[in-house]
Amino acid sequence: MRLLSRYLVLALCVVLVNFFLPRMLPGDPLDFSSGDGLGAAVPLTASARAQLEAYYHLDESTQNQLRSYLSGLLRGDLGLSISRSAPVSDLIVDRLPWTLSLLLVSLVLSAAIGAGIGLAAGWRPGTRRDRWLTSSSGMLSAIPEFLLAIGLLLGGAVGLGWFPLFGGETVFAESRDGLTGILRGGLDIAWHLTLPAATLAIGGVSAFALVTRDATAGLQHQPWLVAARAKGLNERQVAIRHALPNLAFPLTTFFGLRLGGVLGGALVVERVFSIPGLGLLGFQAIGARDYPILQALFLLSSLAVLLVAFLVELVYMRLDPTRRSRQ
Amino acid sequence: MTGRPLLQWVGFVLLVGFVLVALVAPLLAPHDPREPLTLPLSTPTDDHLLGTNDLGQDVLSQLIHGARSTLIVAASVTAISTVVSWLVGLAAGFIRRVEGVLMGVTDLFLALPDLPLILLVLTLIGATRTNMILVLALLSWPAFARVVRSLVIVARGSPYVEASKAMGGSTSHIIVRHLLPATLVVLPTKLVLTTRYAVFAEATLAFLGLSAGDAIGWGAMVNLAFRDPLLFSRPIWPWLVLPPTIAIATLILATVWVGSGLTNGPRPSRRRKPH
Repeated sequence: MRLLSRYLVLALCVVLVNFFLPRMLPGDPLDFSSGDGLGAAVPLTASARAQLEAYYHLDESTQNQLRSYLSGLLRGDLGLSISRSAPVSDLIVDRLPWTLSLLLVSLVLSAAIGAGIGLAAGWRPGTRRDRWLTSSSGMLSAIPEFLLAIGLLLGGAVGLGWFPLFGGETVFAESRDGLTGILRGGLDIAWHLTLPAATLAIGGVSAFALVTRDATAGLQHQPWLVAARAKGLNERQVAIRHALPNLAFPLTTFFGLRLGGVLGGALVVERVFSIPGLGLLGFQAIGARDYPILQALFLLSSLAVLLVAFLVELVYMRLDPTRRSRQ
Repeated sequence: MTGRPLLQWVGFVLLVGFVLVALVAPLLAPHDPREPLTLPLSTPTDDHLLGTNDLGQDVLSQLIHGARSTLIVAASVTAISTVVSWLVGLAAGFIRRVEGVLMGVTDLFLALPDLPLILLVLTLIGATRTNMILVLALLSWPAFARVVRSLVIVARGSPYVEASKAMGGSTSHIIVRHLLPATLVVLPTKLVLTTRYAVFAEATLAFLGLSAGDAIGWGAMVNLAFRDPLLFSRPIWPWLVLPPTIAIATLILATVWVGSGLTNGPRPSRRRKPH
C-alpha cells in the first residue's frame, strides 16, 4: 500500500509538472505559433488563437485551468495538435503500435544478448575475457543512438542494400488481402524494422550485460554452485541450469528500469529510419513547435516509466520472500 | 591491467586535441563556417578539403568550429551540474532538516525520462545555447547528488567529524573542511561522465533540430544532411554525413577511454589526490 501511494504521488507530480511547465516558463507558448512571437513557425490567425485560448481556458484562473485540465486528462483528452488540427490522443493512438513493437523487440533482444555476454564475462571475473567483454560493450553503449542508427543505415541499407532506407512499410505495396497478403505485409514490416530494432538493442546490451556480469560475479563461491560441480555437471550445465535462474531477478528489475532510456532512443532512431511512430511524431512536432504533442509525449512516457517501475517492484516483492515478510 | 592505461592515455590525448582545436578554431579553419562560398554540395577540392554543404558552406571549417560549440556546452553543463550535485548531496547528507525534501526532488528527477522532458522544455523556451546548457545541467545532477550524500553519511559518523563537532566546529566548517574532502574521490568520475552526457545530449538534440538557428555544431550538421530526403542518392553523401559523425564518435570514445580507468580501475585517490 505504501508502495502504491508513493507511485501515485510521483504520478501526480508528473501531471502537475506537465500542467505548470508551459505556464511557468518564460514566454507564451501561443506566441511561438502566432506571427509576433520569436521565430514563429506556424502563423496563427487571431481567431485561431482565440479558439486555442478558449480551448485551454487561458483566460480563466489557474485553478479553473487545472480543474479542466485534470478532468480532460481523465477523459483521455490530451489537447489539440497545433500543426495537424487533430486531437493529440488520436495521433498518438495511431502511432503507438510502431513504437511499442520497436520497444518490446529491442528490449527483449538486448536483455537476452546482454544476459549472455554478462554471464560469459562474470563467470570468471577479472580475466582477460571479462575485461574485454565489459569494456567493449561499454564502448558500444556510449555511442549516441543516432550515430549507431546512421552506422547501421550506412552498412545495412546504403552499403549492402539488404534493408530499406526508410519507412515502416513499403508504400504502394500490393493489396494486403487474404492470409498470404497479411503474412507478406507482416514480413515487409519486420524487414523495415530490423535495423531500427537492432540499433536500440545494441544500445541497451551493455547495461544488461553489466548487471548480469556483476550478479554472476557475486555467485562465484555459492555452495550450491560448488555442489552442482561436485555432482559432475560441466561448466556450461552449471551456468545455464543453476546460475541463470538466479539472474532472472536482477534482469527483471533492470528490464523495467531500461524503459526510459529506450524510449529516448526510439525517438531518435525513428527519425533516422523514418518509422512513423511516436518518435517521428515528436520530431515533427519540434519543427512545428507543436507543444501539445510534446507535452503529451512527456506525460505518457513519464507515466509509462512510473507504471513499469511500479509493476517491477510488485513482481520483486512476490519473488523475494525476505521482502514479502517485511511488508 | 596492460591494455587499460594505454587506452586512457589515448583518450586523454584525444580530449586535449579537441580542446586545442576548439581554442584556436578561428585560426585553424580555412574559411568562415557561415559564409556561403561556392557551389553548394561540392565534392572535396583543394580549396575545400571536405567539400561544401547544401548552402555552399565549407564542411571542414564547420567541423573545426563545431568542436568549439560542443565543448562550450560540455564544459558549462559539467561545471553547473557538478556544483549542484555537490551542494545538494552535501546538504542532504549533513543537514537533516532538508534531507527529505532534497531527496524527494532528486528521486522525482531520476524517475522522469530525460529526452521527452528536454524536448518539451527546449521547444517551449527556445533552443538557444544558454537554454540548452541550463536544461542539461539541471537534469544531470541527481545521480551524483545521491552518491555524494551516501559518502557524506559514511563520513559524518567518523571519529574526526565527531571530534570536530566536540571542539565546537560550526556546520559550515565541518562541511567544508571534513565532509567535502571525503567526497572528492568521485569527482573525476563525475566530471568524465557528465562531459560525456553533455556531448551525447547536445549532439542528439541538435540532430533532432534543437539548436539555435545560426549555431555551428556537429549534431546540426548531421541534421542538415538528413533533411534532404534524397541524401543517399547523391554521390556526395559521405562528405556530408561522415565528418560530423566521426567527430562525435571520437570525442565520446575519448571520454569513455579516459573514464575507463576511473570506474573499474584502481581507486582514483590512490593515484593522485584531487587538489
